Amino acid sequence: MNDFSDLEKELRKLRPAHPSPMLFERVGEALKDSKAAVSGASSKRWRFTETPYRNWWSLGFGLAAAAVLILFAVVTMERRQEHQQTVAQNSAAPETRLVPLRTERSRSPSKFLPAGGTNLVYNTRDEGLHFANGSERPVRRVRYHTQQTWRWRNPETGASLRVSYPSEEIVLIPVSGQ
Amino acid sequence: MEPIASHENWRNCFSAVAPGLLLFARQWVQSAADAEDIVQDAFVKFWRRNHDIDNRALLYSAVRSLALDFIRRDARRARREATVLAETEPAIEPHFELEDDTQAALAAAVESLPGDQREVLVLKIWNDLTFSEIAGALGISQNTAASRYRYALANLKKTLQPQ
Repeated sequence: MNDFSDLEKELRKLRPAHPSPMLFERVGEALKDSKAAVSGASSKRWRFTETPYRNWWSLGFGLAAAAVLILFAVVTMERRQEHQQTVAQNSAAPETRLVPLRTERSRSPSKFLPAGGTNLVYNTRDEGLHFANGSERPVRRVRYHTQQTWRWRNPETGASLRVSYPSEEIVLIPVSGQ
Repeated sequence: MEPIASHENWRNCFSAVAPGLLLFARQWVQSAADAEDIVQDAFVKFWRRNHDIDNRALLYSAVRSLALDFIRRDARRARREATVLAETEPAIEPHFELEDDTQAALAAAVESLPGDQREVLVLKIWNDLTFSEIAGALGISQNTAASRYRYALANLKKTLQPQ
């Protein structure tokens, strides 16, 4: 089927010129210089020794950048929070009220200590009278939308940590008949 | 930390492919020394990343790329070499280890092939690459690689036919 089989056989008899012995020495030196002369079987090991080195640097830079961003965010949030508290306290709107600060013991093993928290109610909705769980007395259901913020502070370093999240509360207020 | 085993491993791999790589590199550069420089650079870069020669298409592609870079970088020298080579006997730095006149005629016929056919022939015959690997190394389709190979053999047969 192959008309060229004899020709291919003759071509394969031709041997390419061998490289000079110096080439092997030069390649060996180049690989030694780059510290990359690791066996093919241990190629993964090579990657595991080289890659983490780069990753540690990346991780270090990443953590440093994240720390700077967190500190910046904390400072900005504190200023904003102080402003919001002032607004909330001065606001005449009935649906906005400032809930007293609550402290909560931190479960974090670090040296951050609880520094207080706020529960800012930014919306209140009266959902009317209801009979809860078959009760004979009606209750008024009021839904509060709040923004809760908790703060921790490290007294040694002065660093602070703030967690803020929205929440929703439903309060059932018993209504007494006249 | 296996310096001895590693050393032997690259040496074994390089011994297996070096003659074919050199022949491949000399499709673009006539000087054996330049071809060795190209092969050295390509193999060292390739070995640092791969530590085996399983992906041969990539290795040959690296050699080809470096050879083409060499030509572009040193065009004047390449022209000068081409002029000198045109005036000298090609047997000064033979591409093959020739045993007789028949092989010399065959080698001359190979060197007279068009470049695109010759590089496919070199990869197929003396580097044992599949058409798929050749296609990957040269950036062409498998069909193109196969047809160039057939054209190369046909041209060789035609050249070697007794008049």
